Amino acid sequence: MSLLDFARGPALQWAAVVFVIGMLWRTLGLLLMLRARPLSKDRKTGLAGAGVKTMFSRFLLPKVFAKRVGFQFLLGWIWHLGFVITLLFFQVHVLFFKGLLGFGWPALPNSVVLPVAAVSLGILVILLVRRVTNPVLRYISTFNDYSSVIVTILPFATGFATFAHVPALPYETLLALHFLSVALLLVWFPFSKLFHVITVLPSRYILGVKFWRRGVEA
Amino acid sequence: MTEVITKQEREEAFAMFYGMAASIGELADPAPEMTDEERVERAKEVFLKGIDNNVAVQLDACVHCGACAQACQFYIGTEDPKYTPIHKLDLLKRVYKRELSPMSWLNKLTTPEITADDLRAQVELVYDSCTMCGRCNMVCPSAINIGDMVALNRSAMAAAGLAPAELRYMRDGQEADGTIFGADEDLFNFRIQDIQQKLGFEIPIDKKGADVLLMTSGLDIHLFADATGGAIETLHHMGVDFTLASKTPGYEGANFGSLSGYDATKKKQTKASTALIEELGVKTVIVPECGHSYPALRFGAAEAVGRPVNFEVMTVSEYFGRAVMDGRLTLEKKSHPKPIALHDPCKVGRWGGVFDEPRAILEACGYDLHETESNREYNFCCGGGAANFLLPSADKLKRVGYRTKMGEIEAAGAEELVVSCGSCRMNFEVGKVKAGDSIPVESLAAIIAAHLPQKDTVEGDKV
Repeated sequence: MSLLDFARGPALQWAAVVFVIGMLWRTLGLLLMLRARPLSKDRKTGLAGAGVKTMFSRFLLPKVFAKRVGFQFLLGWIWHLGFVITLLFFQVHVLFFKGLLGFGWPALPNSVVLPVAAVSLGILVILLVRRVTNPVLRYISTFNDYSSVIVTILPFATGFATFAHVPALPYETLLALHFLSVALLLVWFPFSKLFHVITVLPSRYILGVKFWRRGVEA
Repeated sequence: MTEVITKQEREEAFAMFYGMAASIGELADPAPEMTDEERVERAKEVFLKGIDNNVAVQLDACVHCGACAQACQFYIGTEDPKYTPIHKLDLLKRVYKRELSPMSWLNKLTTPEITADDLRAQVELVYDSCTMCGRCNMVCPSAINIGDMVALNRSAMAAAGLAPAELRYMRDGQEADGTIFGADEDLFNFRIQDIQQKLGFEIPIDKKGADVLLMTSGLDIHLFADATGGAIETLHHMGVDFTLASKTPGYEGANFGSLSGYDATKKKQTKASTALIEELGVKTVIVPECGHSYPALRFGAAEAVGRPVNFEVMTVSEYFGRAVMDGRLTLEKKSHPKPIALHDPCKVGRWGGVFDEPRAILEACGYDLHETESNREYNFCCGGGAANFLLPSADKLKRVGYRTKMGEIEAAGAEELVVSCGSCRMNFEVGKVKAGDSIPVESLAAIIAAHLPQKDTVEGDKV
């Protein structure tokens, strides 16, 4: 079995298994935890609606914080969007998903996706450097923070290397490394802060409800 | 408005009170003796009890982006990364990850147990450098409720015998006689009689079946009689069927169990207040200009007694603000050439939703309100909330918080400040002295009374 066969075969399959089981385990574990029910009277009605509103309103930064947090907020927005576009709308990826799922969807032209991916990769590198150089981020960062950024950077980096046929390595090895980096991302996902993909919206909902009970839009 | 306390009397009382407050730590009983193992065990017990699904989901949503630092006045003022709000939850996170996370089986291998030294290091982070103002909650992209989780940390510290001496003293006082700063029933009665004499009408006391119970606080009894007097005068002016209660904790709105992390005291105080309120049979309780007393009773009464309660709880600014908005209270619009700023106390504003009411009052009085850049739910704390105004160890940080807040007030062009919270007012007054500022800081309740239109005597007037 060649490295490429291993990477796109057992490595990716087992990584997917770990990803699915890990995500389900952690999600179900959270769901099964008890939650306190308040007894005091709410100041407002429509709590669920307020919770949903906060789920979406937190995609925008309140103006009062723009000066201090605007830059990192914008970077976060761009790279997350770039990640989704690259993952789901790059032609080769669409073909991959079609082979996997049996159906596909229209892809975006490479002239769009490649710059988007490049910007995302650039931002991830900036965020990694920032995590090392910014006093607050350096102070609060743990292995989880650094490793999660690096593990997210790798599929972008290996993807570009593969697309560009970097001459340092044979194409098949580059492609295998790309698959392996994706496998690593999948395995790392449920055990790391990348799991916030699942918790971020419920977390916003929780505060939205909590504050709206008190008459405050969160 | 009838002057129930002169400026000079207030300044003298303030000087005496400030001297007393500065030394309460020395009066506290010694901290409870415990082994390090007991401290860790008790703190963990509190953490584990406090972590439910909501806390777990929020802890698992943190990506360590550090945005919360940029909302915190203590980080903004010092640029010391240790004051990053999310860092204050590290011990809670460690307990969660090791003991309750669905991934605890793996986390145990990589996450160290908390130690007594960790707890000792945590004291400055969850007391001195956090007023649980919750402004960090508002910037967090995951909307993590850091403020409430710091409160859980305070409970863990208190259980571990590590709460600051000043707050232990306050807790002990409240445990002993239900009030704070020794504002016992004799002192309360003396103050009320004094106010009654100046107002010239009989203040109803312990009147069963009254519509409204007005509470006060030890701080107001000692220092801010204008706030209590203003509320009484306004209720009388409106013809409201109201009463005060002569027994603790019926007149004491402050709950230092809630601020200091002593959950049993918090519950005991709230339960006792609730029992007394229900015995009086009032429909509405007005808590004093004391920020935390609002959430403590408004959102804590039902939790303390384990069932819904059948009375409404409002804070002073909310009650009178609604009366203005509903047309039940008309205030006299006067000329105020000086622009005024409004400080939204965190516990009443961001944690209580009372924003429109105080603004309606100021508008009705004819004030030119200059909003600070951060207002309403984004308001900065005064710097000394959550009882921090009593902590000498937090003096430097309090001044930092004050500077941030006052910077916004100055930038808004305000020449006067109105607050509806005694401890905010206290912190502003101390901050002013230390910074050499001279901006007048007024009570909203006193302002309301100062704008009551002249009217014929109402029932109960002696003169």
